[in-house]
Amino acid sequence: MNIKSQVLALLASALLLNSSYAGAEESFMGWLLEFGRTKEVKPVTDRQYQEECGECHFAYQPGLLPARSWDKLLNAEAMRDHFGDNAEMDQDTLRAIHEYAAENAADKSWYKRSRKIAAATSEGPAPLRITGLRYIERKHHDIPEKMVKGNKSVKSLSYCDKCHTQADEGVYDNDTVSIPNYPDWDD
Amino acid sequence: MMRNNKLNALAAGICLALLAATAHAQEPLLDLELPAGSSWYANNTRNMNTRPYLLALNDEAVAKDVADLPASQPAKFEPPLFTGSNAHKYLGLGALALVVATAIAPKPPEIEGRPPTQAELDAQRSSSHAKLGRAAATMAAATVVTGLLAHWKDFHLEDGLSDPDNQHALLGTAGALAMLFAVSKAPGEGHAGKGITGGAAMAVAIKLTW
Repeated sequence: MNIKSQVLALLASALLLNSSYAGAEESFMGWLLEFGRTKEVKPVTDRQYQEECGECHFAYQPGLLPARSWDKLLNAEAMRDHFGDNAEMDQDTLRAIHEYAAENAADKSWYKRSRKIAAATSEGPAPLRITGLRYIERKHHDIPEKMVKGNKSVKSLSYCDKCHTQADEGVYDNDTVSIPNYPDWDD
Repeated sequence: MMRNNKLNALAAGICLALLAATAHAQEPLLDLELPAGSSWYANNTRNMNTRPYLLALNDEAVAKDVADLPASQPAKFEPPLFTGSNAHKYLGLGALALVVATAIAPKPPEIEGRPPTQAELDAQRSSSHAKLGRAAATMAAATVVTGLLAHWKDFHLEDGLSDPDNQHALLGTAGALAMLFAVSKAPGEGHAGKGITGGAAMAVAIKLTW
């Protein structure tokens, strides 16, 4: 095998290495031929999911947690105590939003940030809080507490859309961050 | 020479079109409608079509009218156009475009069987192919530098080699180095392979985090 072939094989390996996160909804070829940007998190496209979850809180994109996390969160028993609140809903609705979340979870998505989350959560127990992910913690550890917990307009990292101005579109990059009351803060 | 001029003009045209498209993307739609008659002077302030022109602010009635105006809304956040991240992105895409342009640009004939004369060497070094190759390698190096500056925090060894950002950084840097190596070896045997490999590595790096 000459050097050119070896280099091409290495490049192909780099692409195929990513294919380990291939899922049912999105395929390696689909991602390869996709020219639109997929560097963030897939936005919520399901109206029922958006309405049911968005009624009480920001409708977190399924690509922010792996499927096994959604399995633990979106079942009848867990919904009776959904982070301290009773969020029970009828079986059909719960099944529908669970299916949507599981099918678009981080480990089924080709979006870059989801791939990072999937890789970071591939081992160990299924995480239940997005803000508890090591990756998310690391991305926010530079932000002083006064800008989040001490900021009346933010209060918690759980309110993604308070600072990530395009969170509803699944965009969480630094360029779109604007912390309320601290507009000049720059990472 | 004529062909070089045409290539230069084509490259300049592409750059201008890209710049224009970038600017256009940020501009709201142009409202080309002219104000009707004296309405330009009769209407004013927050909504030009509904609010009366307020010349005499000391007038009580007018002052009350002003007080009734709704409080101004905070401006909607607009992401800045020029950021380190955007500079890195456009430099990377530009480097890739220059690699393609280098590959398709006319190359000077290779001299075989004897050492090239000084005139032949000068002709090779001043060819469009050589200029575009040098520009591609320079832009690739600038892409790596801006990437390190703008995305340093996205690169974490603890995430391992399966992390797309780590793969992007490693492949992009390797691609830029290969392109610089190719330029340093040119004109000569084998530099094409190194240049193409560098360009391919950069293309894969871009795709991984696109």
